[in-house]
Amino acid sequence: MTSRTPPAETPSSGGISIRSVCHEYRPARGRPVLALDNIDLEINDREFVAILGPSGCGKSTLLYLLGGFMPLQQGGISVGGRDITGPGPDRGIVFQNFALFPWKTVRQNILYGLEKQRLPKDERERTTRHFIDMVHLTGFEDSYPSQLSGGMKQRVAIARTLAINPDTLLMDEPFGALDAQTRSLMQEELLAIWNRSPTTVVFVTHDVREAVLLADRVVVMTARPGRVKKIIDTRFEGGMNAEIAKSRPFLDRVDEIWDLVREEAIVAGSAGAG
Amino acid sequence: MARTLGNDTPGTAGHSARRAFETFGPYLTISLLLIAWELASRLELVIAFLLPPLSVVIVRIATDFASGQLPMDIAITLYRTLVAFALAAIVGVSIGILISRNATVRWFFDPLISIGLPMPKIALLPVFMLWFGLFDLSKILMVAFSASFQIIIATWAATQSIEKELIWSAQSLGASRREILREVILPAAMPQILTGLQIALPICLIVVLITEMIMGGQGLGDSMLRSARYVDSPGVFAGIVEIGIVGFCVIRAMEVIRRRLLVWHQETREETTV
Ligand SMILES: Nc1ncnc2c1ncn2[C@@H]1O[C@H](COP(=O)(O)OP(=O)(O)O)[C@@H](O)[C@H]1O
Ligand SMILES: [Mg+2]
Repeated sequence: MTSRTPPAETPSSGGISIRSVCHEYRPARGRPVLALDNIDLEINDREFVAILGPSGCGKSTLLYLLGGFMPLQQGGISVGGRDITGPGPDRGIVFQNFALFPWKTVRQNILYGLEKQRLPKDERERTTRHFIDMVHLTGFEDSYPSQLSGGMKQRVAIARTLAINPDTLLMDEPFGALDAQTRSLMQEELLAIWNRSPTTVVFVTHDVREAVLLADRVVVMTARPGRVKKIIDTRFEGGMNAEIAKSRPFLDRVDEIWDLVREEAIVAGSAGAG
Repeated sequence: MARTLGNDTPGTAGHSARRAFETFGPYLTISLLLIAWELASRLELVIAFLLPPLSVVIVRIATDFASGQLPMDIAITLYRTLVAFALAAIVGVSIGILISRNATVRWFFDPLISIGLPMPKIALLPVFMLWFGLFDLSKILMVAFSASFQIIIATWAATQSIEKELIWSAQSLGASRREILREVILPAAMPQILTGLQIALPICLIVVLITEMIMGGQGLGDSMLRSARYVDSPGVFAGIVEIGIVGFCVIRAMEVIRRRLLVWHQETREETTV
């Protein structure tokens, strides 16, 4: 287990300010769906925030709005003090369904963002190598996504996003498709990266323990329409390490959050939502 | 060669018999048909004038080939088919893309395509003859016009079904709008566009033959119709066999091109590993 230490002295990437954000999906057919209802959230510079909530409560929607992929209907979002106007490489995102380019090999997928940054060729190649090794895909550089397992695709997606070194990381259940062992390796890896160069991270997950382990604060959302139910501080004295992850306070915190999430999952279930 | 994770089950006897059947099965059907043809006229089940024996037709094909008439006809018909096909492909894919990206273009073309698609386009041949004369130009434009509808529809549908996360990924990795069209939308739509082209290619060949039969000007269609005028029944049936062979080769060539272009695609991998 890598220890989690307070952020080092790196240039500010800026926090995130979410003010009274609502989002309603208006499908061409069928009734409109209110996915997010009046979300207020301040995320500090270089803070690691995890978002928990029942399926369908609007977690992905919130990340898409942070990414600037959908126009804001109501409220405001600013990153690093500036209102977001659209997508950009300052905010890297790992999608729940990977969204790899199926016509590109593993290597080409990871290179894509680096090519857009107009880096020199040898630096691009070096960075790509580094991230392929980091996500343990050495030997699969020239495979196409259709030749990889779900967990491997997920690791490519993570590497592709980390490679462009974004100021803010948006991750939508990035370890969801991984087996338990790879999952815990990747958790350590993410913490190590975050310790080396802390960035602002918004991390959506289903796994309460993972949230407490990785995050500075955990945001629990209500069943649809998504609101902020509770924000829990999950920093521990002396940072995170293997000892603390087994300690009483840690496990109590996990249980406490688990109860909150469970309450909402029951509401979501009884409302007939998926 | 990329590493595959597929199942390389060792071939058993039953497996290879089935494989042989899959490879040669289609030829078996055709061979049976040809044998039945030969026997029917040899045994005088039908009058040789109505159905000359296959052997006579083959001799006729060989004679036409040796005289240079047949290679000439094939070259002319293929030239018209491929030029019209290329024109239809360029125009069709461009219009399909424009429709999917621009509401005004969509508003303009949508009703035209709805009317045009099921219409027998060949009915406009007299108009094309009036406008573009009696030679290659009117034939090629007629053929391209007939085939372009399928390509427009396929391209439009293909771009509609692209996962939005794929485009968002490219945006957040720093791709511009133009880069996204070339580097994401086109390759993502390619499998379905190629399907549209594969439907359009035989349409091109068919319409070329019809225009040749109606307007003359050499080519396989013209030769066949002339044989019929001279009550030359081996000539007519030679034409049918020649058209069948040319059509078969053209379609096979298109399949090879598809596999080349879609090495990354699931379907290609399955075809090469089964
Ligand atoms: N494109 C869409 N059109 C209509 N409804 C949608 C669309 N996308 C998501 N929704 C609905 O909005 C709600 C929130 O979705 P999402 O943000 O994906 O939830 P989560 O990621 O928390 O599971 C869900 O109930 C979902 O059905
Ligand atoms: Mg989601």
